Amino acid sequence: MRYISKKNSSAALTPHDFIDDKVSFSVRENSEKLKKILESCSDAVFREFTFGTNDEHKALVLYFDGLTDRKEIEENILKPLLLEIGMVNKPEIKILNTSGVFSRIKNRILAAAEVKTLNTLGEIVHHISSGDTVLLINGCDKALSAGTRSWQSRAIQTPENEVVIFGPKEGFCETLRFNTALLRRRIKTGNFKIEAMVLGRLTKTDVVLCYIKGVAPDSLVAEVKQRLNKIDIDGVLDSAILEEFIVNEKNTIFSQVEHTEKPDRVAANLLEGRIAVLVDGSPMALILPVSFPQFWLSPEDYYDNYIPASLFRFLRFAAFWISLLLPSLYVAVITYHQEMIPTALYLTIAATRQGVPFPAFVEAVLLEITFELLREAGLRLPRAVGPAVSIVGALIIGDAAVRAGLVSTPMVVIVAATGIASFVTPAYNAGIINRIARFGFLFASSVLGFLGIMIGLILMLTRMASLSSFGLPYLSPLAPFNREQMTDVIVRRPWYKNITRPFIEGMKNQRRQNPPDKDKGGSK
Amino acid sequence: MIRLSNFQVYSMLLIFSLAVAFLQVGKFAIDLLFNNAYLAVLATAVPGILIIFMLNHILKKSTLPFPFILGEHLGEKVGKVIGFLYILIFLLLTSFSLRLFVDFIETNVLPQTPISIFLGLLLLCGYIAIKTGLENFARMCEIIVILGVGFSFSIVFLGFFQNIDIKNLLPFAYMNWTSFMRAVFMLSTEILKLATILFLGFFIPDKNDALKIMIKVLFTYIILITAITVAAILIFGGTTASLFTFPTFAVVRIINIADFLTNLDAIFIGLWIIGIFGTSTFLWFMFCITTQYVFNLRDYRFIAAPSSLIIAVLAIKMASNILEINILIIYIIPFLLSIFFFLIPFLLFLITLFKPYPELDQENCKNINF
Repeated sequence: MRYISKKNSSAALTPHDFIDDKVSFSVRENSEKLKKILESCSDAVFREFTFGTNDEHKALVLYFDGLTDRKEIEENILKPLLLEIGMVNKPEIKILNTSGVFSRIKNRILAAAEVKTLNTLGEIVHHISSGDTVLLINGCDKALSAGTRSWQSRAIQTPENEVVIFGPKEGFCETLRFNTALLRRRIKTGNFKIEAMVLGRLTKTDVVLCYIKGVAPDSLVAEVKQRLNKIDIDGVLDSAILEEFIVNEKNTIFSQVEHTEKPDRVAANLLEGRIAVLVDGSPMALILPVSFPQFWLSPEDYYDNYIPASLFRFLRFAAFWISLLLPSLYVAVITYHQEMIPTALYLTIAATRQGVPFPAFVEAVLLEITFELLREAGLRLPRAVGPAVSIVGALIIGDAAVRAGLVSTPMVVIVAATGIASFVTPAYNAGIINRIARFGFLFASSVLGFLGIMIGLILMLTRMASLSSFGLPYLSPLAPFNREQMTDVIVRRPWYKNITRPFIEGMKNQRRQNPPDKDKGGSK
Repeated sequence: MIRLSNFQVYSMLLIFSLAVAFLQVGKFAIDLLFNNAYLAVLATAVPGILIIFMLNHILKKSTLPFPFILGEHLGEKVGKVIGFLYILIFLLLTSFSLRLFVDFIETNVLPQTPISIFLGLLLLCGYIAIKTGLENFARMCEIIVILGVGFSFSIVFLGFFQNIDIKNLLPFAYMNWTSFMRAVFMLSTEILKLATILFLGFFIPDKNDALKIMIKVLFTYIILITAITVAAILIFGGTTASLFTFPTFAVVRIINIADFLTNLDAIFIGLWIIGIFGTSTFLWFMFCITTQYVFNLRDYRFIAAPSSLIIAVLAIKMASNILEINILIIYIIPFLLSIFFFLIPFLLFLITLFKPYPELDQENCKNINF
């Protein structure tokens, strides 16, 4: 009745009026409505045909060109209906009367691996947008969707932002199913759950929540699901968009989720009871909850011998402090605490600074900004010229600035060392924190020397201590201090001593492996 | 309800009792006993343990944390009156710890910088910490302790590798026993700050662990103060060390690593700032929480902003020069600490001696909104 009443004023109808309509018994009516909905969609393919021994059934196949595998449509949908039904003279096929045709086709004729029943036009549009092919049959008030998804996508490649020497090299791509398959291949248990949801009113983006049941706390899974379900936005184009919706504290530079392109890293985190969120169209997985020290751990640590891995970890922590504080310490020493450095060294620095018209702080800020500009330019420029421009830029600008007497040589060394140290950070978003905070520390050191740096550190610590990622304190296991877990943060604990998982509130199963049997000499 | 781990409570107690003491307590002992100063530090263990057992007894016999404990044992009205006095004491001690620090910075590190700048910055940090709550502050204290204690021990360790003379410790135990008793008293006043366990002890998972925590704090305190006092005596000798205003600072200044890293005092001060920040913020917390109790306020956080002004003005006005600060350090503060951190807890101890052990235990704390 609703449709009939609207039919009289069809000129005023918009696609939105049809989208929630149920599938009609008439193929023609369905086709008209769908054409109206998909008006100006040149990639939408409407293939009308008849089938049956006497061509008594009208049908419509609908799909988006480019999202589907045409061969599969031809072989598994059209061919069985058009050719095989007509050729074989089997009694069961002859009973393709109107009432039984739908279930017969669904259960006996369509050869697609994945077939679903759809009830509304909205569902049809969603499915064909996802690459499925929809079959509408005259006389049936339901539609069939066959899984024929196939599109050109980037192959699985090594992630450029997370290069490792040891361990798996493959990374996520933009196709969600490939990504979930990469995880499923690593965690072969029925307890590995991949819960799907659709987010984005217009984009209808597929989002999946991955976790291991019994390992990830149930309360955490429920909390993440609840936060994701609350999102009401027109489009979700990347996983990073979700981050801002689901984190506890929005107004901060400190990232409360971990981004990674590496399936082995995600799998390792899932085994520790964390949750991963993957979004269709994004190669980045979100891992949560996360604490700040976790950003300094590389997956590679766990594939290498634990002694060198621990030493590299020390190096990484040192690089963190260098990239955060080196320029500000230099400014503090040069400006306020000259007595701290040996006289000979100070005289050398003073000699190079002679004639430099700027105070150390301005000099440092100028060089840091130049370095950041070069870094950004190197990222945005075409790959063929990017590195060349950044190297040439750094050499020429640095050399020219020193020759012109605008900056001193030690400051160039300091900024270069800081830049190199900042690249040591395994997590890109943690590196950004350092890059931003560095300028704050520079300013503080220029005003109050070491005192300013310490005040800055106190403020930073206060902020970090107040943060939590889905109930996990941001500074854990440093604060609240957990000796057991700290041993796997400061150094890389040997695998045979990794008895328990890192503690996450609500975790029921913290045991990873049984303790080594001492009588048998341990599991060495 | 607030939940604190044992290590968090240990950290908070240690910062509160050690941060200021590390710089000045050794000086008291050296002034009075010269080369035998470290014996007074070691002897502090005896009154320290007695104080700890007293506090532990009060804690076990109480169901509510400080300042509610005052009302529980002394009656609501008396509790509120004494609570009001505690408000004033916490306010004074917060201002005093800040003033002590900024005076030190102004005279030793950044001369001619107005003290209002240092005060303003430290108060800003403290204000933010109070606003974020006690649990977050406790997390910060953990990091401060890990960094601070590690660095303090490093200083002592490096101090022992400078030009030391073992003979500086002699003659052993040849001293004036009255001075010895005075030194022990002065050193014990810092240990009295452990009385804040009467507040913190209610938020740890098991109240019975409070005793262990306090003993750990006491021994960390004694080991560190003894070590730095011994280092100062070994390097300078008792008589020369007594001439320094801050012998600990003098030890830091003399440290020389491979003839390259010298004058590490700036780094020491940098870390000491964090300790002072911890002490003053904790006292400020106590001020806010006691005010909440006395005036039946719903929350304590909003008191932080207005009280920062009072603290800043009091810190500037409490003494006009370093001599007046010294009078405060030597006479007034130990006297006040003895009354409010020893006599009143002792009174509570006597009252609780005749009370049975409570049945409800920590359940009551859940109704208190901190």
